[in-house]
Amino acid sequence: MTLALITRFTLQEAIRRRLFLAVLILSTLLLVAFIILLSIAINLIQSNSSTANGGTLSPHLFLLSGGVFFDILMIWLVYLLSSLLTIVLTANMISGEVEAGTFAVIVPKPISRAEIVMGKWLGFALIIVVYTALMFFALLAIIYWKTGYWPEQVFSALGTLELTMLALLGLTTMGSAFVPTIVNGAIVLVLFIVAPIASIVQFVVQAIKPTQSLALQNIGTVINLIIPTDALWHGTSFFLLPSAQIFPLLGLSTDSFNTPFTSTQPVAPALLIWVAFYILVLPLIAVVRFQRRDL
Amino acid sequence: MEKKGLAPVIEVDGLRKVYHRIVAVDEVSFVMYHGEAFGFLGPNGAGKSTVVKILTGLVTPTRGTVRVLGNPINHRETRKRIGYLPELPTFHRWLQAREFLEFHGRLYGLRGPLLEKRCREVLALVGLSGKEHQKLGTFSKGMMQRIGLAQAILNRPDLVLLDELVSGLDPVGQRDMRELLRQLKAEGMSIFLNSHQLADVEALCDRVAIINQGRILKVGAPHSLFDEPLTVEIRVDAVSTQLLHRLGSVALAVRQDEENLCRLLVEVQNDEAAADIAAIVYECGARLYTLAPHQRSLEQLFLRTIDASNS
Repeated sequence: MTLALITRFTLQEAIRRRLFLAVLILSTLLLVAFIILLSIAINLIQSNSSTANGGTLSPHLFLLSGGVFFDILMIWLVYLLSSLLTIVLTANMISGEVEAGTFAVIVPKPISRAEIVMGKWLGFALIIVVYTALMFFALLAIIYWKTGYWPEQVFSALGTLELTMLALLGLTTMGSAFVPTIVNGAIVLVLFIVAPIASIVQFVVQAIKPTQSLALQNIGTVINLIIPTDALWHGTSFFLLPSAQIFPLLGLSTDSFNTPFTSTQPVAPALLIWVAFYILVLPLIAVVRFQRRDL
Repeated sequence: MEKKGLAPVIEVDGLRKVYHRIVAVDEVSFVMYHGEAFGFLGPNGAGKSTVVKILTGLVTPTRGTVRVLGNPINHRETRKRIGYLPELPTFHRWLQAREFLEFHGRLYGLRGPLLEKRCREVLALVGLSGKEHQKLGTFSKGMMQRIGLAQAILNRPDLVLLDELVSGLDPVGQRDMRELLRQLKAEGMSIFLNSHQLADVEALCDRVAIINQGRILKVGAPHSLFDEPLTVEIRVDAVSTQLLHRLGSVALAVRQDEENLCRLLVEVQNDEAAADIAAIVYECGARLYTLAPHQRSLEQLFLRTIDASNS
């Protein structure tokens, strides 16, 4: 019951904070701007469709293939936005309250420290999961409206995207129980940026010298274990693509999606197990640390 | 020291806290009883706040045991019976006063009409009626102290721990809070008061503990801690040898003012001995113009104890 109280309080706090309001306004503006830009782009494509695709695809199929690219691009944007929101909103989850001294009147109340951490974690998880899902479906719906493309494995794509956010949330939760807010935010942000850089380096080296990429592959695996966000994004991008049989119909090649930013392979089951462990264990480490922390 | 018939509300035994090799509190032991107002005195850095934080579960002791209302501090039901106001409290600024109290009330397990009633009551008690919908971010320092006290007594706790309650208040606010504490004490609430305001502590507290450099130096009722002699100033019409001799027999020392030979400073052990002085003056046939005990204050006791400890 007290856990639900802390969750409700966290939701209330997040909604009242100007940051959340700013994110909501900017997200709405983004959606409106996207509708306008996409409409302009579609009009341009339709007016030049015969020359743009060399006349090999019907205008309808050409629009669908454009929809695939727009899906990847816009959901990648959701991935970035939600990730940044997760880091900014939750880097101070515990440390912020400790630094401000607001825990001094909450912790002595009849509530366990575990309930405080888990209640806050749950509150932030709800905010981030709902925000991500809303943006995800809003953008996919706009693209479907304009191009007719709707990913077949849409829920799998959303699932891996949400796992990404929960993994990041686990990391910020744990960090905020150990280090000050600014340090926590910086660490998670650096890790979040390092993961795709490792993918890019791995991709380039693999393209140039495929035989010497084993060491880099191992480094990439270690980085993905430390911060699995980039690997999960690759999984999300896979689920946004059409099935292999439809690729040729849309005039697309799987090679064009084997990039440092996208993947034509699903996330390995072992990684998914690791991510589930990551999402559950990191907040529990935060609980253990917070229970022993002097305030 | 056990008080007959009174249940302990705080029992601290052999408490030690070390922060990164710095000893904040060492071998602290004391007992506070039900219905008592207990003053906890000490200079800055003496370890007072550490003890209060241990009593509220904010800090874990390195060694020693603490029992509050008969249970370990992490006992959930016990925590429902404790109120706490930290020094210079910081609250969530985005909350309205009423929302703030409702949140803390719910943490205590209060719900529905009872919670609403208690919120109204405590807001009135601390003088914040009419400020229900004002955001805490717009509150002055004094108002923050008041709303902090309101959340501490919201659950009508058996024990309330107050850390420097009046530090942010103006003189009127200080007077109001003093009155409120007296009222709460009269209603049977046990009050643990960590304060620098020695006059407040002296006026309110039944017993005090003086702490310095992490160790308790004295515990007891203020009057029982006054170990220096009581000086009584007397002025008579004439000082005879007999009077000096008789006074000397009951006093620790008798000094005659060189500039005013009719003025004597008589040092006695306690108030009872002071009462004998008037009788002696009368028996020696002198006329008594002045008999004035020099008041011993808690402040003097505190300063002397701390100075002795530091030296």
